[in-house]
Amino acid sequence: MLPRIKLALAFASLALVFGLQPSASAQESAESNRAVRTLETGSFHGNVHPTSGRATIYQEADGKLILRLTNFKTSNGPDVHVILVAAKDADDDANFLKSNTPRVELGKLKGNEGDQNYEIPTGTDLAKFQTVSIYCERFDANFGAAPLEKF
Amino acid sequence: MSDRAISWLSSHKWILAGLGLPILVAAWWAFRPERLWVNVKVDEPAPFNSSADLQPLYTGLLAGRAHPTSGRASIYQAPDGKRDLRLTDFMTSNGPDVHVVLAQSTDESLKQDFVKGQLNNVELGLLKANQGNQNYDLPDSADLSRYDAVVIYCERFHAVFGVAKLDKF
Repeated sequence: MLPRIKLALAFASLALVFGLQPSASAQESAESNRAVRTLETGSFHGNVHPTSGRATIYQEADGKLILRLTNFKTSNGPDVHVILVAAKDADDDANFLKSNTPRVELGKLKGNEGDQNYEIPTGTDLAKFQTVSIYCERFDANFGAAPLEKF
Repeated sequence: MSDRAISWLSSHKWILAGLGLPILVAAWWAFRPERLWVNVKVDEPAPFNSSADLQPLYTGLLAGRAHPTSGRASIYQAPDGKRDLRLTDFMTSNGPDVHVVLAQSTDESLKQDFVKGQLNNVELGLLKANQGNQNYDLPDSADLSRYDAVVIYCERFHAVFGVAKLDKF
């Protein structure tokens, strides 16, 4: 009988070490009480017109949504706009006119290099518009796209 | 081209120029080729007060290796220069002797579930919990240009639970 108990004890201790560790959950806060919340972020990819950098959506205390581009670089061009498109991501050669993809206009691209902010119209559904595109409206050319992920 | 055609062209060159010029102007307006060489730089401030608040430096999404792992790893810098790692929407499986470390994203051993030998890493501490938002202090000496990946690492069995490649914020 005794060897069996020893065996059982050995198994029990093995199970404790490997399997039965309780699932622990932490809930630390960011050491910041900033009024501006970071909602989503993503990196740009672009091939035809090399585009790089980061797109981040912030929400201000009053609920206003701001898109901010950082470390941003694209090629300069005519009639280039910043838009949100209703897609998870966009191909580097996407034509949103042809594909009939719904989009939200955020404004003319302020500069082809550098940090810049754009206001997102109130009521824009971020669950639907998940990708930022640097888009040449004149030729319906996608310079670059950044798929947004939850921050 | 025949002599007749050439003489027609030379006698009507002003008409041709009158037709050609608007076409050239229209083409210039449409393509704005000079913009290939002209850059427009902007430098707008962040929508938050960056001098008095935490500044995000890097971020990346965790991908599972030996155990399903998900969430976001971000590195923040406080105004006094202190940096910390914050895990959000974090989830991994619980295990023995699990640590949070920084490693080099180019390290071949991170491609496998288990590291053979020692993982070249910067220790940030024991994993506080396998779920939830959590913060870890970064040593002042940690060089993020070299150690550009966050790894959830079981030291006892050299198991890579998950890896996040950090990209500039």
